[in-house]
Amino acid sequence: MIELETIRPFFEDKKELLAEILNRYPDYGRRSAVMPLLWEVQRSERHVSEARVEEIAGILGLHATEVKGVMSFYSTYHEQPLGKYHLQVCSTLSCSLAGSDQMYDWLVEELGIVNGETDRDGLFSLQKVECLGSCGTAPVLQVNDVYYERMTRSRCKEVLAALRRDELPEPWLERGGDNVSAEKAQIESES
Amino acid sequence: MEAPQQITSRKDPRFKVSMYEHVGVKNSWTLSYYLGHGGYQAAQKALTMQPSEIINEVKASGLRGRGGAGFPTGVKWSFMPPVDGRQRFLVCNADESEPGSFKDRYILEDDPHQLIEGLLIGGYAIGASKGVIYIRGEYYQGYQRLKQAVAEARQAGYLGSNIFESGFDFDVILHRGAGAYICGEETALMNSFEGLRANPRLKPPFPAQAGVYGLPTTINNVTSLASVVHIINNGADWFSSMGTDDSKGNKLYQISGSVERPGVYEMPMGASFRELIYDLAGGPTMAIKAIIPGGSSTPMLPFDDEHLDTPMDYGSIATKGSMLGTGGVILIPTEKCIVNATWNLVRFYAHESCGKCTPCREGIAGWMVKIYQKLVKGFGQEGDIELIEDMADKIRGKAFCPLADACLGPVQSSIEHFRGEYEYLIKNGKPMYSKSDWWSE
Ligand SMILES: Cc1cc2nc3c(=O)[nH]c(=O)nc-3n(C[C@H](O)[C@H](O)[C@H](O)COP(=O)(O)O)c2cc1C
Ligand code: SF4
Ligand code: FES
Repeated sequence: MIELETIRPFFEDKKELLAEILNRYPDYGRRSAVMPLLWEVQRSERHVSEARVEEIAGILGLHATEVKGVMSFYSTYHEQPLGKYHLQVCSTLSCSLAGSDQMYDWLVEELGIVNGETDRDGLFSLQKVECLGSCGTAPVLQVNDVYYERMTRSRCKEVLAALRRDELPEPWLERGGDNVSAEKAQIESES
Repeated sequence: MEAPQQITSRKDPRFKVSMYEHVGVKNSWTLSYYLGHGGYQAAQKALTMQPSEIINEVKASGLRGRGGAGFPTGVKWSFMPPVDGRQRFLVCNADESEPGSFKDRYILEDDPHQLIEGLLIGGYAIGASKGVIYIRGEYYQGYQRLKQAVAEARQAGYLGSNIFESGFDFDVILHRGAGAYICGEETALMNSFEGLRANPRLKPPFPAQAGVYGLPTTINNVTSLASVVHIINNGADWFSSMGTDDSKGNKLYQISGSVERPGVYEMPMGASFRELIYDLAGGPTMAIKAIIPGGSSTPMLPFDDEHLDTPMDYGSIATKGSMLGTGGVILIPTEKCIVNATWNLVRFYAHESCGKCTPCREGIAGWMVKIYQKLVKGFGQEGDIELIEDMADKIRGKAFCPLADACLGPVQSSIEHFRGEYEYLIKNGKPMYSKSDWWSE
């Protein structure tokens, strides 16, 4: 309760966003907004604190435990703040066959943190995740919301170096399969 | 007169790529591009038809759901109860998370209007004025593109009220997941959408009776709905001229693992694994021992001529003891320890078990994953294989939802075909194949 009094409510100055999210769902389905609300908080504060859980519960007319119950079901919402760059290494089979286990080990060496940890400066968090739907362009490293695909050793080094300079590099567009490369895509759209 | 031969190869000159024609093309996700390539014509046509005519057309096409289970789409649509004034929903399952599957992703990212059009047609056919697209949280780019596409479609009147002056109203809710594979299971998805924990629900009642918010609901996969657009455009006969007896039409196959050109390939159903692996994907990059035919839950098959020449359709793969699933083919190289590969997938299912029922929570997420961990660390003991087999036997068919059985696919098939590797690992404390670095420069 003390926290509630001292912390400004997250949605206090985001009335439009809040209304937009609530309006997505029918009146009888107000509770559906719990995931998008949790996500807004997670995205902007890199975790969802108890105070925010209370706030969301209040908005939706739920008990805090109900919101917490939803929150704890999913892997996207975190109780402790993530680093500025959340490195998510896909560790499932197709990525593993393309070297994701070695990529993970390399990141552990480089960053000095293991799965689930955040570094001292709050710059990086490292997490092993499951298949990201990038099996055709494996291995994949997801940084915050962005996919970096076909992460060879050299690309991985480049991306990490850029992040250390506090730059989020542009992802490269690769589709594989029927659409082999960005170059091809370029040609087709111009012709 | 003899009926023309069915199209079962991509090399057949009559075959043309439809669903994936625009994937990978710059700006293909915009409304102007879509309209410039025949977009929303199918919807315009559909909205002049009777809903029952559309359902009959989809039935006649032979389309089966592309989400994995393969249930005939038209038949599913006809399960909706008579219109009684209650709100009805058409939900699109865009939660795609079965390892080895990534076909829906590129439609969401590069051709979102195709999905919206399919949803609109489906919504009209089943009398649902609300569509829901449940998209997995990790597909952020897909979500952004879809969001933009929905806004454009609303602006242009393809969503909203009185679409094409037909009197039909339709709009779409986009809902993002948050990293849980089980949300792909249709009843778990509905719970997740409603803001509940995503545990599966008991069936019956089926979604058509009591779905989202307890209201009549139909759930379809992204690619099923994309297929409908082309069925309406080109007719059921066009669709059913491709494929085999029990598997009509074209399908998006995916291939990953040790192969030259992994990715998604659109092919007529009934084409062989060989055509996909060699003619389209350029062949393996190293010696291969096993094929996972349709996503990680489908039992693996030995990589040999018999299986390479098997047509990729429901019936043919079933005769070989596996399943078509999502059509996500994974090639496992000889050099990869099969116990390790299987452990990778067991770990996945254990991680994704929702914990609702005992056989899965204790069996898969408890025991199974621990035994595999012990095996890959080299601490296996005599009797472990039998223990796994016994457990598999006791779990199969006894869990609340299909996730637990999905885990048993790779477990039982790897033991069936590669028992020698298990035995070697247990006996020697190290795997038969020890390649450890798979990362390329
Ligand atoms: C554990 C589990 C995960 C599933 N994941 C997905 C998925 O990610 N996408 C999907 O379309 N169907 C998935 N399904 C199948 C759905 O429950 C459902 O059958 C499908 O969405 C129906 O659409 P369709 O008839 O068009 O194939 C999953 C099923 C189970 C049991
Ligand atoms: S089988 Fe697993 S995922 Fe399915 S309900 Fe039981 S515990 Fe949950
Ligand atoms: S296995 Fe890594 S993206 Fe599918």
